[in-house]
Amino acid sequence: MMTLGNIKSIVFIALVALLVPIFVQAEGLIVDQTFHGDKEIVVTFAGSVDKAVVENVKNYTVFEEPDPDIRLKMSSAILGVDGKSATLVFAEPLNTIETHVVSIEGLNGEEKTVFTVSKSYLGYLFGILISALLINNFVFTKYLGLCVFFGTSKKKETAKGMGVVFTLVTVASATMSWFFYNYILVPFDLNFLQIVVFIGLTSLTVQAVDTVLRKVNPVLFNSFGVFLVLVIANCVIIAVPLILANNHYNLFETLMLALGAGGGFLLALYLMSSVSERMQLADIPPTFKGLPISFIVAGQFAMAFLGFSGLQLF
Amino acid sequence: MANDKSSMQLISRGILSENPIFKLALSMCPAVGISTTVMNGVLLGIAVLFVQVFSSVTISIFKNMIHPRIRIPTYTLTIATWVTVIDLVLAAYMPEAYAKMGIFVKLIVAFAIITMRLEMFACKESVSDSFWDGLGMGLGFMVGMVVIGFFRELLGSGMILGHDVLGFKPLLFFILPSAGFFVVGLMMAFFNWIEIYYKRSKGLK
Amino acid sequence: MKDILTIVIRLTVSCLLAATVMGVCLIFTSNAKKHNEHVKEQKVMYSLLGYSGGATIPDSLAMHEVYRYVLTGPSKQSIAYLVPQGHGEEKGFLFVNINLDGELIEAKPVSLTEAQSLDPESRNKAMLGAADTGYDVQFADKTFVVTDNGQRIAYLLGGKFQGFKTFINVMVAVEPNFSLIGFEVLEHEEDPGLGAEIEQEYFKNQFKGKPFAALKEIDVVKAPIPEEYLKALNGKISEKDVLKVREQYKDGDIYALTGATISTRAVANGVKGIVRKFAYRVEVLDKVLTEQQLAVSF
Repeated sequence: MMTLGNIKSIVFIALVALLVPIFVQAEGLIVDQTFHGDKEIVVTFAGSVDKAVVENVKNYTVFEEPDPDIRLKMSSAILGVDGKSATLVFAEPLNTIETHVVSIEGLNGEEKTVFTVSKSYLGYLFGILISALLINNFVFTKYLGLCVFFGTSKKKETAKGMGVVFTLVTVASATMSWFFYNYILVPFDLNFLQIVVFIGLTSLTVQAVDTVLRKVNPVLFNSFGVFLVLVIANCVIIAVPLILANNHYNLFETLMLALGAGGGFLLALYLMSSVSERMQLADIPPTFKGLPISFIVAGQFAMAFLGFSGLQLF
Repeated sequence: MANDKSSMQLISRGILSENPIFKLALSMCPAVGISTTVMNGVLLGIAVLFVQVFSSVTISIFKNMIHPRIRIPTYTLTIATWVTVIDLVLAAYMPEAYAKMGIFVKLIVAFAIITMRLEMFACKESVSDSFWDGLGMGLGFMVGMVVIGFFRELLGSGMILGHDVLGFKPLLFFILPSAGFFVVGLMMAFFNWIEIYYKRSKGLK
Repeated sequence: MKDILTIVIRLTVSCLLAATVMGVCLIFTSNAKKHNEHVKEQKVMYSLLGYSGGATIPDSLAMHEVYRYVLTGPSKQSIAYLVPQGHGEEKGFLFVNINLDGELIEAKPVSLTEAQSLDPESRNKAMLGAADTGYDVQFADKTFVVTDNGQRIAYLLGGKFQGFKTFINVMVAVEPNFSLIGFEVLEHEEDPGLGAEIEQEYFKNQFKGKPFAALKEIDVVKAPIPEEYLKALNGKISEKDVLKVREQYKDGDIYALTGATISTRAVANGVKGIVRKFAYRVEVLDKVLTEQQLAVSF
């Protein structure tokens, strides 16, 4: 299907464009800083540095960002053989989830050099995506969107169409909801209007996509238009904004969550429809025909997805 | 549609022949998600009952003033308003139960069953009929949730409404998240079986 | 055109109606919500101290709440505490600003009644007024110092940390020597049957009576709980035996919940972090208060 390919490439390009700013990093005395294991921080400097300064533990102040008064005890700092990278060894395991602020005194004649160490942000974003896609899959582990899920998972073609349309609408409506939440609901203390605003925005997105698609690409509309009506009846689309409001996600995190939620729904639909197509050939007891057997299959998928829990890539 | 439907008929239709969970297979998310205890079922059932009755009555009162072209947005607005109200009330007066139900109270807004009743019933019928229909549908949902919750709580933790009845835990599996699918599936199969059995016995006679 | 106009008017009217309903509801519920949250917090605090289920609370017992804020200025940060000066309505609070090296920057009284201090908004405003201009105030945490006839008998620490699914919100009770009295899970979204077991008594009891030295090194073991220990945790043996068994296991690690090692580890590490940070901070605060001879209520 040509149109499906087009959508895929558009989504991919948009994703790359969004992620580019993350790769661009500020230049300075410090080139790179990462956690190494749970007791060490590795720092790479731009040029050669004074060994005496770098290896003196007293020159360092290290703390977790939310707790600036609690200094972490360092046991040693070792400059590598290349003279450019240093390993800071700590007495106790670090809580690598938190951002750590490190400041060095007297480095290259400067009074204070401050930098922060955190887990790779890209990895964190990817973690949100994977989490929404597999570990906390909205259909199989959060049990949302089931009405539409059982309705549209009979055939692979329908499943694909529904999944793709749903992903696009989720991303669009989640982005809008994010702007509304952060710039209208929070500043004016209107948090209790969450439900009304989010459902309104979702309906608006669906209506807008419907109108635009009808005019711009009638072919695409003919194949996907039917699913647009179903999108609004899906709880996932309203759950995504509620979750992002609860967790105070930023825009990138919101996009990742929305993509993960949509992708997870697509994945679930596709898996389910593959089984459904085969089930039509099977000899199922009359009492189990239709919905009951679909539920049992979904339950088995849910058990399988339970195996993803605890999965940590970064 | 005849106008001689009594209130009792409307209620029993919601609970039995058009039960939202087992017969219409709508609003399945909470039936699978948080039906681990009877109490959860009762509480979410009350929330849905409230939203369904109030939305039905509201739409039925204003049915002549709603412009046909903005019918669906008006329904959504009505439902969202009543969901916000029940959400605020539960958060204020029953904080512990509210915490257990998590996101599902807010998600009532996306329940297909409520919109469907507004579209199919409340926008045509009288206020009192809409009230009884809403009550029936809400009760039907509540009964479904309670029945599922009963089996899951009894088999999963050996308790009913938080009271230890069995004294041991028969099958932890039933309280685990994925078991919701199995319980609902098996119960649907059970109702199908009754129906088939009933038809057969009639047919044989 | 006329059609559009009627649609717009009708939508506006229905939106106004909806807004009225929701607004009225918010006004009625917001006070009740605050009140109920406060009541629930009180209940949890007293039950942690051993006064659960309607036990009479002695008059000599008093709670003193200490609020901690992080002040962030153009180039430096400091920690500011809001410490009660007395227990009456008029005594007010003391604003104690301590720099990152544990030295006092400034201490001055703040006019804030106890009722006002319960409302985050008016409290933040008072802090903003007390801090130097250009400083941003950020609420960090709330601690209760419990005294009995003026003697400190416990600290109650609030805190939240990342669990398996979302945040776990807890309240931890420690003795003045920082050994654990117990903790209570206030909010969590772990899976029922698995991670949600952190709410169960037998799990929480594992933490009871852990000395600070053992808590600092606490870890999680993946093994079934020994039978005798499990009985003690469930309270199925006599009080005296429970204490004996607890004594035996007090330096040991936490036994992981079946199928929920991550949740268990999150709780163990979270509680450890909360107590360790508090132990450091309260020492700094006490030093400043005694050195500067600042009168506070505890």
